[in-house]
Amino acid sequence: MPSLHLSAPVEQKNSPHSLLPFLQSQSQQTLNKLYSRPSSCLSIFRLLAPLQQQIIMNLLWLESTISSSTMAAWVVREEKKNYDAALSPLFRLHILATSPIKLALSATFKTSMRQALTGGGTTGSFGVPAPKDDKYPPMGIDELDGYALERWETILHYMVSSGTGQNSMRPSKDVLFLLQQSGLMANSQGSLQITSAGFQFLLHSPHAQLWDLLLQYLRLAEERNMDLVEVLSFLFMLSTMELGREYSTEGMNSTPQVAATHKAMLNDLRDYGLLWQRKPSSRRFYPTRLATTLTSSSPPLPTSTGPSSGPKEGFIVLETNYRIYAYTDNPLQTAVLNLFVALKYRFPNLVVGSITRDSVKKALSNGISAEQIISYLIAHAHPQMRKNNPLLPVTVQDQIRLWELEKNRLKSQEGYLYTAFTSPADYELVLNYARQLEVVLWENAAKRCFFGSLDGHANIKNFIERRTGGNA
Amino acid sequence: MDDISQASHLSVVVDLSPMHWDLSAREAPENTYPLSLASFLSQLLAFLNTHIACRHENTLAVFGAFPGKSIMLYSSSDPVSPSAEMHANAYPPFQAVDSAVVQRITAELDALELRDDEEEAPSALVGALAKALCYVNRITLPPSANSKAQANGFHPGVLPDPRILILSVSPDLATSYIPIMNSIFSAQKLKATIDVCQIYGPNTVFLQQAAHLTGGSYILLERRDALLQYLIMSFLPPPSIRRTLSVPTQEQVDFRAACFCHKNIVDIGFVCSVCLSIFCQPLAVCTTCRTKFPIKTLQRLNAARPLLATATATGNANGRPRVQSGAVLGANGGVGGAVANGAR
Repeated sequence: MPSLHLSAPVEQKNSPHSLLPFLQSQSQQTLNKLYSRPSSCLSIFRLLAPLQQQIIMNLLWLESTISSSTMAAWVVREEKKNYDAALSPLFRLHILATSPIKLALSATFKTSMRQALTGGGTTGSFGVPAPKDDKYPPMGIDELDGYALERWETILHYMVSSGTGQNSMRPSKDVLFLLQQSGLMANSQGSLQITSAGFQFLLHSPHAQLWDLLLQYLRLAEERNMDLVEVLSFLFMLSTMELGREYSTEGMNSTPQVAATHKAMLNDLRDYGLLWQRKPSSRRFYPTRLATTLTSSSPPLPTSTGPSSGPKEGFIVLETNYRIYAYTDNPLQTAVLNLFVALKYRFPNLVVGSITRDSVKKALSNGISAEQIISYLIAHAHPQMRKNNPLLPVTVQDQIRLWELEKNRLKSQEGYLYTAFTSPADYELVLNYARQLEVVLWENAAKRCFFGSLDGHANIKNFIERRTGGNA
Repeated sequence: MDDISQASHLSVVVDLSPMHWDLSAREAPENTYPLSLASFLSQLLAFLNTHIACRHENTLAVFGAFPGKSIMLYSSSDPVSPSAEMHANAYPPFQAVDSAVVQRITAELDALELRDDEEEAPSALVGALAKALCYVNRITLPPSANSKAQANGFHPGVLPDPRILILSVSPDLATSYIPIMNSIFSAQKLKATIDVCQIYGPNTVFLQQAAHLTGGSYILLERRDALLQYLIMSFLPPPSIRRTLSVPTQEQVDFRAACFCHKNIVDIGFVCSVCLSIFCQPLAVCTTCRTKFPIKTLQRLNAARPLLATATATGNANGRPRVQSGAVLGANGGVGGAVANGAR
């Protein structure tokens, strides 16, 4: 048990969801408009930490406000810090009304959240199911998964292969633009090349990748003059929809402007594989698994491993002799491995390679960190590997970290070199003064010179001038 | 803190004894805060929805204890066939839970009315609890438990802290003492927490013990108009949250046991020194293991009975009947002295 917990990617455990900082930067007005939809409230609620959820729930059904001290009385004394830390984002999200002594949910949030839990109202924010279509048979969940997987892997595969110069299927122009805007790819010599941020992106969990892209999309939406509230609530609506059910685009557009926003989003999200439409002009759509698991924390996304590529949990076996066996036939996974592994053999369901100094240094020079390599290996470890404690061989883990340290052998520091002292006594005097200031970085008594850091220079210069001035 | 972001499982055992719900729904002066089954159900559904709302992966199972019968009302692992009627104003999983639970309960209660027995059988709370435990056991152990790693709990699908919430309205049923104790021990083994909310009626000794022994919380509902708030504040948080936001715990736990012979809850009982069966009076032969006790011991214990009855009872923290060393006579096969349970 402990090894698994220690090894799990740290970012997911402790830091808040990547969308929350974005929401916190929005104005209270925007957020309130967002909170008027029950589905948005529910989705945001899901992204919060469990402690915050409990605080909200404790307050949800109270009609009156409650004083902060009453609420704080429930907190175990040693955990006060965690409790306070949990509260402040809720204030910034304007879920809790700002008041120093009273605790209360914002009125809009409270109404919508209650409505979400009890089901009622007429907002229609959970999506309008389309009436049964007799012309076409309904889409199966497998087909939807396949579609989402194909779309998503096209994007990732394009990113990977751009680095190696191979050609692969190009995603649509909008996707390319988004990749370029987000800094994951950059234009060099007329073609798009993956950047170091892009390499790091590839090693993230599929769930994190999806949100990374969607966050970029949200930022772009602002520039494209799309209504942010509409964009967000459409995303949240998708996340609360049921997989394998067809929804209608009608009934949720009130104004032409909103309808245009939805239309644009349908097009974009279809490109990312979040939803499926029979044809672009269709008035009905199916959300895919990518969309319906947006607010879940663990990624049961089809992307984690394709349906064709062996066991769902993981596929990598790493031995103490740095050899790596990857049970996969997925070209994307092979390509990602190729980022930091020297591949040797390739079989129909197995790729064999080894982690070498050169392969790791290549990855490091691409901007991938040792931690990322290790966490990728852990996240995709084969079930057989999970018997080991620690999960990965320590020698390999340490060596990868050491190779990273090798890169950081040189450290530069600005400063001044003091030379040409007339006598050893002079030299000693100035050096001692510099030592007292703790600014000496290097010294050489034989050559009578020393190197002092930048911030000590003014003092040393004054000191020398005072001395020479006194002698003269 | 590690398991803080993981999914949790909640099994809810609902006592649906019509007789006690009828008593509970009566207006003042019998009840200060009457609570009808309908309003209870609507609050329960809101609570169940809240549990599912917290995390996409949270799982839920609901068991109903009817008179003489217990059934599973809902479980998220084998969902009911999706009803055709879905509307845009509610989250689909919520609709599925709500409709399944309400439909099953209505069907069962209708069936009960048709049966028309002269006397209502006692509520099968223990049966429902046992089913809940079986369910927890099933989801805790992954289907392919042949690999060692999975058996150790490394499987990604393993739920960290299964919980069982018992919502009871009936009083203690002394006949169910042994099955309840057995359920408690299996819950301990499964590392499942049992929470208990006694919604109507007096404190129940056995459920109190169940909550205490599995580290859950026990609440005797006083303000029954505030049921939902009680449920959310005390029973929604998983154990990891309970370390930060405390939940009410019991100050005093009634540790009395029931005797095996008459199923009475006893303050002072007699324990077989061989198999630890509990009796309310000294017996010549243990009914469980057939051990014969010397006649002398019996006489002495019988003589001491009135004296024992007035003796101050000492508490017993681990819930197992303890033999008071002073009262044991004869190494092999004396009726081992008195159990003194009950921390009152």
